[in-house]
Amino acid sequence: MVSLPTLERDLEVTISEMPDTPWVTMVWNDPVNLQSYVSWVFRSYFGFERSEAERRMLLVHNEGRAVVASGSREQMEVHVEAMHDFGLWATLAKDDQ
Amino acid sequence: MIGFARDGAVVSARFTSDEAAILVDLASQLVQLLSERGGDATGDLLFAQLGIGGSAAAPLDPALARLLPDAYRDDMEAASDHRRLTERALVERKMAHARAFASTLEHHEVSLDGSAVQSWLRTLTDLRLAIAARLQIEFDGDEGDDPATQALYDWLGYLQGTLIEVIDD
Repeated sequence: MVSLPTLERDLEVTISEMPDTPWVTMVWNDPVNLQSYVSWVFRSYFGFERSEAERRMLLVHNEGRAVVASGSREQMEVHVEAMHDFGLWATLAKDDQ
Repeated sequence: MIGFARDGAVVSARFTSDEAAILVDLASQLVQLLSERGGDATGDLLFAQLGIGGSAAAPLDPALARLLPDAYRDDMEAASDHRRLTERALVERKMAHARAFASTLEHHEVSLDGSAVQSWLRTLTDLRLAIAARLQIEFDGDEGDDPATQALYDWLGYLQGTLIEVIDD
């Protein structure tokens, strides 16, 4: 399984190369997926450290959603597809906030 | 089933023949369910081979809708376009994982390499998503009103949780 750059590195690339509003990948809470599985997906796919993966997993669980990546629309579409492969409920949107 | 054990990159587990038969049957039902979205909607062979040319509308069946969610939440047009271009390939990948999962269960003593572990984690997830939709589990803490199906759902969760545990250190 490939290990992708961290969100922070993605953001640096995005800001320096793309003047447009970035897009974000969001993962939504569902009552089915195990916390340990979601955390493992965040680590193994996005390359997050264990503590960061846990933090974002808990955001999904407690707040109902969490941003897990940011960058170009095309990149986010790839991430969303990958999350759907894992059975996680993910969407992409323009980062307006 | 006596729990997963890991030796290096290989994960093993032993199932009873009944347990193995149930898992193979569930995987086959999952493939059957997904095949409802894998039909050659356009009749275009090239599109089919590329994995595009699928339906633009979200599935009506709640289990399929959860397995193949919209990629855009507030933009129906973008969601439809994205689904038309990507859903067929997503269905194919999910079916391939379910078939790989079933093929590891030909022997009740399973031995999983890294790729097979991926197929197991993804297929166990997809099975639980589909069963949860049938049980109408919508919020954290919900339980289905069919005890047998609920027990099956819980068992699949136990398998997934223990599999994560052995690969996760």
